[in-house]
Amino acid sequence: MQTRNSSPEGKPQKKYYSVRKKYCAFCKDKVTLVDYKNFRNLENYISETGRMFPARVSGTCAYHQKQLAKAIKRARQMALIKFSEEKRGY
Amino acid sequence: MNSKYEIGFIITPEANEEEVKKIIESITGTIKKAKGTIAGVDEWGRKKMAYPIKKNVEGYFVFVQAEVDGSVIADLERRLKQMEKVLRYITLRLDDKLKKANKLTKRWQKIEQFRKKSQYSHEEGKENSDSAGKEEEAYADEK
Repeated sequence: MQTRNSSPEGKPQKKYYSVRKKYCAFCKDKVTLVDYKNFRNLENYISETGRMFPARVSGTCAYHQKQLAKAIKRARQMALIKFSEEKRGY
Repeated sequence: MNSKYEIGFIITPEANEEEVKKIIESITGTIKKAKGTIAGVDEWGRKKMAYPIKKNVEGYFVFVQAEVDGSVIADLERRLKQMEKVLRYITLRLDDKLKKANKLTKRWQKIEQFRKKSQYSHEEGKENSDSAGKEEEAYADEK
């Protein structure tokens, strides 16, 4: 069996790209509670069509991602951020 | 048992200043009647909403932080639902969330202590006691 990262001899191949390590922005600022009211910050975690970014993309930790998801839903309910929007152009 | 709550609501832009005042006073009044305390009232004023509600583009945003009994909040929700001038409302209990937050801050403090300890041991080896002493003083002030 060959995996994608191994050469025919079984040795791991060199990676050609360097990945910058992602970190949780909330942990860095020492945010204990993600507030639904500061929607300007929440807008960084939704796409232009209004979908949430997964933790694997944004790099937030599990603790804050859970709170973030709820905060975004609450902000949507209170008309602070959009539910969804069709892609412009095309 | 009193616990911390947050109540947020949007009032229609059609309402004039007196009507806005009346709605806010009626809510704060009921909280005070039930022996609750009001921590603060945030009035954002008129703001454009992310999407129109009942064909209204703008809304008057108000957030109230209070410490009251749970039964009062249930009563408030019922009343907010009946108000025609209120477009949306939300109520949140903050007690359990603050508990979790306190746990997290304690954990961070522990991690910081551990980091600083390891730093000192590292710097002592290098004989850079000056910078380490300053940091120690700063940390003592924080505590």
